[in-house]
Amino acid sequence: MQLPEGIIAVVKQDCPTCVLVDPVLKEIEAQGLPVTVYVQDEPDFPSVARVVDDRALEHSFRLDIETVPTLIRVTDGREEARAIGWARAEWQALTGLVTLGAALPEQRPGCGSKSVEPGIAERLALRYGDVVMPARRLDVPPLEDDVEFCFERGWSDGLPLVPPTEERVYRMLQGTTHKPDEVLGLAPPNHAECTVAKVAINAVMAGCKPEYLPVVIAAVEAALDPAFCLHGLLATTWFSGPMVVVNGPVRGAIGMNWRGNVLGQGNRANLTIGRALQLVVRNVGGGRPQEADQSTFGTPAKLGFCFAEDEATPWTTLGEDRGVPRERSAVTVFSADGPIGVADQKSRTPEPLVDSLAGTLRAINHYRLANAADVVIVVGPEHGRVFDEAGWSKADVAGALHAATRIDGHDLGMGTDKDAPSARPQGAGTLPKFREGGIHLVRAGGDAGMFSAIIPGWLMKGSLGTDPVTREVST
Amino acid sequence: MTTTLLDPTGELAPLERQPIAKPATLDGLTVGLLDISKARGDVFLDRLDALLSARGVRVRRYKKPTFTRPAPIPLIQQIAAEVDVVVEALAD
Amino acid sequence: MQDIRELDGRGIPGGYIASEVFRTAALTQGEAVGFHPDSLFVAHPIQDRTDAEMQALAEGALEDVLDLVRRRE
Repeated sequence: MQLPEGIIAVVKQDCPTCVLVDPVLKEIEAQGLPVTVYVQDEPDFPSVARVVDDRALEHSFRLDIETVPTLIRVTDGREEARAIGWARAEWQALTGLVTLGAALPEQRPGCGSKSVEPGIAERLALRYGDVVMPARRLDVPPLEDDVEFCFERGWSDGLPLVPPTEERVYRMLQGTTHKPDEVLGLAPPNHAECTVAKVAINAVMAGCKPEYLPVVIAAVEAALDPAFCLHGLLATTWFSGPMVVVNGPVRGAIGMNWRGNVLGQGNRANLTIGRALQLVVRNVGGGRPQEADQSTFGTPAKLGFCFAEDEATPWTTLGEDRGVPRERSAVTVFSADGPIGVADQKSRTPEPLVDSLAGTLRAINHYRLANAADVVIVVGPEHGRVFDEAGWSKADVAGALHAATRIDGHDLGMGTDKDAPSARPQGAGTLPKFREGGIHLVRAGGDAGMFSAIIPGWLMKGSLGTDPVTREVST
Repeated sequence: MTTTLLDPTGELAPLERQPIAKPATLDGLTVGLLDISKARGDVFLDRLDALLSARGVRVRRYKKPTFTRPAPIPLIQQIAAEVDVVVEALAD
Repeated sequence: MQDIRELDGRGIPGGYIASEVFRTAALTQGEAVGFHPDSLFVAHPIQDRTDAEMQALAEGALEDVLDLVRRRE
């Protein structure tokens, strides 16, 4: 955009300071300096000769005007200096007119520019700002409701979506400094390029706020890591889906829940972040039930499963255990079935509580199956207190649980026919139910309830299946 | 005013919604004939019914209350439960 | 056409039959709802046809009607 030479002023009539300085602009013009006034509301308002109707706010946007009046000096087509609001000394310096505005008070603040009013800024950016959000555009047919349209396109997990308009996606993308066309990975099963823009579009549909986007991006990056084996996980006949556990300052910043009903409904950040990841699986990757997704039952958790850890306990956090210091935020993705509850309202010391948890742990997947799934145990505050009061660290508890979850090697196999041939070790004694490092402990839950939640993972793990993956959250 | 949405998918499918796949053969299938209730349409459909039946195709007949509105949902549900493919006639 | 679209969404493929004059309206409606089902256009007018004429119309249309509901070989 070619700037007019001389003095530019941007004003609106609906601003007392702009009204105040109108005679001053006339004075500058009378002194022989070329003056161009851009007016944001009433084209008849300014009294100078050269007036530009900027009701469309294109010039105000391109000049990056936040306050009116703004005075700008242009030399050789380039901006040299600007003054915000009315300040006599600045205006005199800018124009070189030493007696300018002598009759006016020394200074007056301006008003907000119309180009930065809420909602307007995004629209101007989209119209004039060379914003690139790589995605096909679809027009909702005139006769159709936009929420129904999203259902009809097959984008939905069964619940209503927030229609991903250009403005909503643009606002969402303000939540990250990642460029929209940055590729995070290839989404299975279709190996489609998953860009930051595609994540943002699905995050809009999920109902995320822009400030959640960095967490969603980290979760998608983690899930697309080959070690997580997302393709296998989305396609399996088993129950599991991805589960996202969030650590670090971002939890509080975006209002996540790690207290009562932590694994349930009600918290926007928890629910929409988990949902956004699943919508990426569905829409970008193409993983859908009864197509690539062959899960016999699925689980309500496959709508989205995400929560924050309670970090106000004596234990190290999951993030710390996995290499990210407490001061930085991280997500860890696990494979996860729905939660199984363990009630122990009697144990006041660690040993019997470990025994209670171990009883259920030994039976997950099948009571005579070892070395299948990993497990995440969400230890509630009341159970946590039992360990804390005895000075047991997370490692102490995990070690005790490993020792308490050995199952009889003679009896392994899944059939009801105990004599059926199977790959049974001879005279094996007992075998560990879980591989080394296969028991993960996190703290969360409401203050009342002497319970913990056991969340088994996918039956395929390690090199044959999935491993948990951690990613730092970057803004 | 048109609402423009950004495509959340991997963009491997065409933009416009595609009709679902048709069966390769009508053997063993039921064809629904839906009369939109404009005049003379019934005569047309009666003949189609007879011709299809003569070819061994199973036919079921339906009629919507008025051509001026979409078929009521209970009728849609009934048709969807009772047929494998459908022909709607005769708009003019 | 709305009915065909509704049934398509419920897993029932199909199409509709209209007379020639309906061709443009059908195209416009298809654009408006973002869906173009298979269609068959027969000779206009319809309203004043005798039974015999309607039956002949049906006979002539039979093969095309089959193409509305079955994949072409």
